[in-house]
Amino acid sequence: MSLYPVFARPRSLDQAGEVLGSLSSGAMIIAGGQEVMPSVNYGMLMPEVYVDIGQVKELRGITEADGAIHIGALTVHRDVQDSDVTRSQVPLLAYAAAQVGGGWQVHNRGTIGGNIVSMHPLYDIVPSLLALDAEVDVLKDGTVDRVSLSDLMKDASHGLGSEALLVRVVIKPMPSGAGWAYEKLKITAGGYGSANAAAIVAMDGDKIASLRLVVGAVSELPQDLSQVLSNCFGQVWSDSLASALEAKVCDAISNPLSDHQGDGNWRKAMAGVVARRAVAAAIAKAR
Amino acid sequence: MGEAVYTNDFNFPGQLHAHVLRSPHAAAKIKSVDVSGAEKVSGVVRVMEGAEAAELLNPIPHYIDPAVFGGRSAKIRCLAKDHVWCFGQPVAVVVAEDKRTARYAASRIVVDYEVTTPVIDPEEAVKDGAPKVVPDWDANMIMQVPFANGDADAAFEAADRVIKTDVKVHRFSTQPIETRTYNAVYDAGTESVTLYGTVQNPHPLRNVLSKILRMPENKIRIHAPVIGGAFGMKMHGHPEEGLMCLLSKVTKRPVKWVEDREECLLIGAREQVHSVELAVKDDGTILGLRDHYIANTGAPSACPGWGMAFLTGLTMPGPYAVTDLDVMLSAVVTNKPSWNASRGYGKEVTALALELSIEHAARELGIDPVDIRMKNFIAKDQFPYDSPTGLIYDSGDYAGVLEKALEAVGYEDWKAQQAQARKEGRYIGIGIGYELTPEGGTLPGTMVAGYDSSSVRVGPDGSVRVLTGVTTPGSGNPTGIAQIVADELGVPLDSIEVVQGDTTTCPYGFGNSSGRSTIVGGGSAAKAAQEVRAKIIKVAAALLQAKDEDVTMVNGVISSKGGASIDLEEVCYACYTRAYDVASVIEPPLEATATFKPGLVRHTPNEKGQINPYPSYSNAAYVAISEVDVDTGQVKLLKFSAAHDCGKVINPILVEGQACGAIMFGIGGAMSENIEFDANGRQLTKNFMDYVMPRIGDMPHVALAHHDSPNPVTYMGLKGAGEAGVGGSAAAVVNSVNNALSSFGVMMTELPLTAPRVWAAIQEAKKSAGSQREGA
Repeated sequence: MSLYPVFARPRSLDQAGEVLGSLSSGAMIIAGGQEVMPSVNYGMLMPEVYVDIGQVKELRGITEADGAIHIGALTVHRDVQDSDVTRSQVPLLAYAAAQVGGGWQVHNRGTIGGNIVSMHPLYDIVPSLLALDAEVDVLKDGTVDRVSLSDLMKDASHGLGSEALLVRVVIKPMPSGAGWAYEKLKITAGGYGSANAAAIVAMDGDKIASLRLVVGAVSELPQDLSQVLSNCFGQVWSDSLASALEAKVCDAISNPLSDHQGDGNWRKAMAGVVARRAVAAAIAKAR
Repeated sequence: MGEAVYTNDFNFPGQLHAHVLRSPHAAAKIKSVDVSGAEKVSGVVRVMEGAEAAELLNPIPHYIDPAVFGGRSAKIRCLAKDHVWCFGQPVAVVVAEDKRTARYAASRIVVDYEVTTPVIDPEEAVKDGAPKVVPDWDANMIMQVPFANGDADAAFEAADRVIKTDVKVHRFSTQPIETRTYNAVYDAGTESVTLYGTVQNPHPLRNVLSKILRMPENKIRIHAPVIGGAFGMKMHGHPEEGLMCLLSKVTKRPVKWVEDREECLLIGAREQVHSVELAVKDDGTILGLRDHYIANTGAPSACPGWGMAFLTGLTMPGPYAVTDLDVMLSAVVTNKPSWNASRGYGKEVTALALELSIEHAARELGIDPVDIRMKNFIAKDQFPYDSPTGLIYDSGDYAGVLEKALEAVGYEDWKAQQAQARKEGRYIGIGIGYELTPEGGTLPGTMVAGYDSSSVRVGPDGSVRVLTGVTTPGSGNPTGIAQIVADELGVPLDSIEVVQGDTTTCPYGFGNSSGRSTIVGGGSAAKAAQEVRAKIIKVAAALLQAKDEDVTMVNGVISSKGGASIDLEEVCYACYTRAYDVASVIEPPLEATATFKPGLVRHTPNEKGQINPYPSYSNAAYVAISEVDVDTGQVKLLKFSAAHDCGKVINPILVEGQACGAIMFGIGGAMSENIEFDANGRQLTKNFMDYVMPRIGDMPHVALAHHDSPNPVTYMGLKGAGEAGVGGSAAAVVNSVNNALSSFGVMMTELPLTAPRVWAAIQEAKKSAGSQREGA
């Protein structure tokens, strides 16, 4: 906590790593500022040091390499929505990025990296990334390691740690013919979601061949329920299967959030509703 | 035109900034306050806590003192001393070179609290043995007020049925985008202080500050610049007003305080619990009304908020011709933060309580919601109408207004769509709300005045300056007043400049409140303009060698019957410069001050002890069409209509802007805006993510219609247009949701209707329907 904070602006990934390694826990990484600045303005955060990574060019942009899509941590939601690469190869993510609340200003400033590392339960990007089996590159102690996002998202209380930096997100393209949907339930236009679900479905004729489903905004971390729903494989989508799926999802939410976005009972029920709607929409889109 | 300069845009040499330290507890004794840590922070100029402030400042006089009306009155201090009675109460203040330093230093103040048990629920607060909010009061009650008339017991005896409806209106407020801001500038040379502030009522505040600061009024100047929304919240009595003046005086430098959003959300309103009973006949005739209601006004305050609870009862039974009445207000204090005035000023809660109850009665009796209202409205030939609570309604055509609103929404068409949707498993609802909004109010013995004054000055160049005692909360009344003066004088609109909100230049006046500004500001400006016009015409007649009555002035051109004409500027110049020849027929300057005092107000109590504080009774009908997603409880508004009787409309754009704004308030209150607390009385709602106002995407298309019945006692038949609509539109929304879910038997009367609540009500209804089936 300091009235006169220090401001550091590394110009390369190496410099950023060095700066972060040399600082204590009072350092605050700032990129798009959509998470940090409201807290600072509110007096909730008074960091000793700001490390502004906005000038680290390696962290920005969407590229294709080794059959995967690389999205730099500083890539803003607007670019994720509009890029030909994301729109054609991971349309689920491009669509989810468009559902981020707060309007154009947030879409133009907020970054995919900030969205992930804040580990905010109500944010829109992570459920889709988990459904896509995304991996992330993390810089720590001078080396970059690739880890699965699901491993990183196991614990909301630690995050990356102030000495580490998220470098990029790595995603495999969605299989051709797969259906997808992101369903977000909001109590008011432009606000946070109260429940959301990302679904990817592959069909074998009129039967479900595979199903990925991640439910967000209802518990402290997004929940990947694909395993729970494996009995849907080989079945034809019907009203009774939809009801069964909805019930299974509700049951799987054991510790629902209860906050300004709605009480726990309702959130648990809504997890089932958005899951059912997302799967139905994904199936309708699958070829 | 030009740019708007708000209070926070004013900065002066040596400008200092204040931060207020607030209580984190709802109820506690203050054992000690140690400010030494804050004083050590570099950049801090002055720190003050409650004991010192109590020595230097008198308590804040009440805007409306409950004692004047026989109630309990508490001593209100700018900073808490000895104890705190609500979360967020100011405890100490830091003044520093910049705002961040002041905030940081405030975190270094150590307050030793002994936390006591708070009372949050108003029904708990009135029980024996409840903790006392005000230590020296014998009960947690500002006052109990009966609004009784006729023989309610006999009416209930004679009724075929009694329909009981518990209406719970939650705490929601008004949130201007510009929060409160005060910048006090002390002038040591004249030993006077100027307060630049977000102030709705500059002269009355000056009177209050003179008492707090122990300074004569002529040493205090209030300057209220353009305001970024007020809605009643910027009516005075706030601790920071006197505090900033004092801090400027002791530091001899300008001191500014800007409220943050969390602080702005501390100001509550509207929280009331009603138990409405309607005595009805099977044909829908309402014979009697009983409603013993409780208002949770929070901790005592010098602001006029508590009076809202009084107005709720006074406005019963709204537009309905019910005379046998047993209504009783209990205005309760608790350890929640205080209220301040809030658009609707209690009348919105009357509308909610009545309209939800009538909808309930219509359903129980199997009568169409339109028919039950038409059956019970006061007829248009009954005006002026003596209400059972002592009000005198000036004019109206309630049935005509409702018909126009139904037509504007396309009522019959929506009924057909509703039936079709039901077949498809979709739930569309149609809801009606009516609101009677007494406006232009005045209370005896308070600075809530019914009249106001304006000066009209025409310069030697023919330009016009209008100075008014009324001010604007951003609603555009200066435009309306300029239009009125332009018409009365006969000059172009763009030659008129309206000056408001400065106690040094403007006539003594009472600012804006209660939808009064165009009625009394416009009325008094018209009278003053007529006087000045007479002078101009006299001199013009002398110049044109014509008779006064043969001279006309239209759009700045003065002509005589004989065809000769002369420019306004030439006449005005002559008025000022030829006082010994052609202008000797008048007394210069071209200036007049006039007062407009509308009729109908009766402050002398009648034989029942009732007064009529209002000259103007606006009213409006609202129709909401909504669709409910029964899986999620989400409500989507499909269409909205309103028909408004605000008397003569001076400027349709301004009136429609006010109406749409009020509808958005009503939708927010009905659906999502809610100030919440934990069990210990700590406020949980801190920002616009928590306090969910409707976004533009939540707004349906609003079809507006006017149905004017001119007010016989105001200039040109004006009624207030700024305050009406919050309750009527909220009621229409709630009724539409209940209508959509009528097949489930859902009847929700506790606001707000958030998606989780609507969903829970559907689940509950399904469950009880299921258990009934099992039982059968």
